[in-house]
Amino acid sequence: MNAAMSAATGAADVTAPAVIRVVLADDSVLFREGLARVLADRGFAVVGQAGDADELMAAVRGQAPDVAVTDVRMPPTNSNEGLLAAQRIRAEHPGVGVLVLSHYVETRQAIRLLRDAPARVGYLLKDRVSDIAEFAEAVRRIAAGGSVIDAEVVAQLLRRRENDARAKLTAREQDILELMAQGRSNAAICARLYLSQKTVETHVGSIFTKLGLLPAADDHRRVLAVLTYLRGS
Amino acid sequence: MTRRRCWLTALGVVLVAWIVGAEWVSIHVGVPENHFIDAAVGLSFVLAGLVALDRRPGNATGVLMIAYAVSAYFGNWSNLNIAAVPMIGMIGAQPSGAFIAHAALAYPTGRLRTRFERFVIGLIYGVNAVVCVVILLAFDPRADGCTRCAWEPAPFPSRTAVLTSLSLSQRAAFLTVPLFFLAVWLRWRRSTPAERRDLIPLWIGFAVVGLVYLMDGFASPDTTADQFSYLMWELQSVLQISLPLIFLWGLLATRLARSAVGDLVVAMDRPLLPGELRAALAKALGDPLLRVLYALDDGDHWVDADGRPESPPRPGEGRRAKAVTVIDRAGGPLAALIHDPALDAGLVRAVAAAAGIRLENERLQADLRAQLDEVRASRQRIVEAGDRERRRVERNLHDGAQQRLATLVLSLAMLRDRDGVDPALAASIEATTSDLKQAIAELRELARGIHPAILTEEGLPAAVEALADRSAVPVQVRTDFEGRLSEPVEAVAYFVVAESIANVIKYAQARAARVELSRRDGVLLVEVSDDGVGGADVSHGSGLRGLADRVAAVRGTFGVQSPPGGGTLVRVEIPVPAER
Repeated sequence: MNAAMSAATGAADVTAPAVIRVVLADDSVLFREGLARVLADRGFAVVGQAGDADELMAAVRGQAPDVAVTDVRMPPTNSNEGLLAAQRIRAEHPGVGVLVLSHYVETRQAIRLLRDAPARVGYLLKDRVSDIAEFAEAVRRIAAGGSVIDAEVVAQLLRRRENDARAKLTAREQDILELMAQGRSNAAICARLYLSQKTVETHVGSIFTKLGLLPAADDHRRVLAVLTYLRGS
Repeated sequence: MTRRRCWLTALGVVLVAWIVGAEWVSIHVGVPENHFIDAAVGLSFVLAGLVALDRRPGNATGVLMIAYAVSAYFGNWSNLNIAAVPMIGMIGAQPSGAFIAHAALAYPTGRLRTRFERFVIGLIYGVNAVVCVVILLAFDPRADGCTRCAWEPAPFPSRTAVLTSLSLSQRAAFLTVPLFFLAVWLRWRRSTPAERRDLIPLWIGFAVVGLVYLMDGFASPDTTADQFSYLMWELQSVLQISLPLIFLWGLLATRLARSAVGDLVVAMDRPLLPGELRAALAKALGDPLLRVLYALDDGDHWVDADGRPESPPRPGEGRRAKAVTVIDRAGGPLAALIHDPALDAGLVRAVAAAAGIRLENERLQADLRAQLDEVRASRQRIVEAGDRERRRVERNLHDGAQQRLATLVLSLAMLRDRDGVDPALAASIEATTSDLKQAIAELRELARGIHPAILTEEGLPAAVEALADRSAVPVQVRTDFEGRLSEPVEAVAYFVVAESIANVIKYAQARAARVELSRRDGVLLVEVSDDGVGGADVSHGSGLRGLADRVAAVRGTFGVQSPPGGGTLVRVEIPVPAER
């Protein structure tokens, strides 16, 4: 596991800034501080912390970070202000990527995020931070212009498609699809699953054929295409 | 002073001016008579009419007495030789006798009862109308000696035609007067002994009129002529003054109340629809604004007929002062009538007594409705409290346990990644983390079942789409609105869809399901349909039953169509106030 992770990290084919500047927003100070330490240990510069959406917007304006990591539900209404702030950041500060964390993942929210701005967005379950290396990698990919969608979203969508014979994917293909949704390149998927580049390309081709999609050039468009197709909208 | 009284006072001022002015005209043109007495006759009709209008608002007798006075004094005004005044005066004076006949025949209720009565009075008015038309077409004031009249002569000026029509109308009296008395006789014959007693003032009135006619031959208003004739004339005038007072006395006598009560008893002699009792009482009392409140808990609370709480006004409260008459029964208050203060208190009590058992029934129904409303409201409060509690639990889980566990996962990850950690310890941490993540996932599902976060965060359409996203059976969602609804409505609609989809997955063996959410005309329509085996039954299985109860709690309707083999359709309509 650890080996696979470091391999994945090493195989990152995107060009992230040398030091990635991050702003964190979460109403739990404990979680925020923990996350800040973890990211700092991994070489990120945590340039701002926020307890609600207003503070987050102020930090983004003031610090112009590479990535803003935000919780969905924050004061004062404890509703979806984090998500709305994420959408605003993407609209008003195109250079700032956002990673939305939540205790729940909803396909609809994921697709809305991606549709508004297919690049530089991430949407992950909060407990994904248990794999620090993976999490750091996700932030890095967003900083470099990629997109990251939680495997759970893909799993949900695939469950919906279970009855659809045409879209019946093999277990391996499903693994690859989930990794694709996480914004990984073919090379990263190879490293992750210990497969040859050739094998992965074959699987990807097969997935696209089964789903009736044209192969997409860049990784985040690929994510959006797959999600949109799976959701059937 | 009530608004009505203000109007009556204003009307009185105008009418007094009308009569005094008419008398002034008589003095001005030198009509030889005792002007004081002549004016007193008119004023007595006017005042009696006004009092009648005030005390018996729904009764036409007052109007007819006033109409008589107005009409009769047109005659005086016609002496004023200006413009069209003589002609208008002649026309206006024509129907005065008809008004008196009408008042007499309609006495004491002010209503004509039979077709024959209406025919006779219609005939008398008709004869007058013909004469008026002839005057309009043929009356030429200049030919009549009015040199100052600026009035253009009528289209067919003919003195003969006018005089002939006047004389013909007098001859018509040979027909109309017997018909009138025939109608009176028929009325007398049909009357019950009690009603006959009510007609006594009318007979006195007739006697007076007869006396006046008898004396007419002897009377003369000319003071310089025969002393006896003049005395007769004065006596005749005094009798005329007394005529409206006799009418008024009869009208205000409590016997009239009995006839109103009698009408009410007749109206009560069949089942009443809701609200009809109030209408019947209002009609009997002649107070269209009458309201009835019912006492609950010995008068601690008052409700209207629909069971809505309402307090009786305190005396003098509000823009229009109202009187409150509380009806007691068996020692406690039963109902309160809120009415015009001008109404006779005895009459109000008599009417309420006549309504008796009906008032009692209506009170029981109002009580029942009030209790039903209270039960409905409390059921709604219970369901809302339950939803609120679910939201609170979900929020506490989110802000508490879930957040703590996420932080814990992060701490364990930091611990594991620390330099120089014993591999055995790292493996143990790894295993713990894995268990912890499993716990987090289970907690997430639990919280979602209690109250889905997305419903709070993004509203009903988003939450329903999330349900569809998670469903094993493909679910197509169609929504025609985006906005937020009230929390109770969103919660009920959500659980309807959630439970219905769960049923589709568990029982329906369906290939596909559909959810439709639409808002129109203040109603949220939720439809969940599938193409499965059907045969679902609301009475069996607590799932559908529980849904029906929840929907009823927000005053919605719940229906299930599920013919065997024909799929299942769950259809719910919920009234929605305004967008949040």
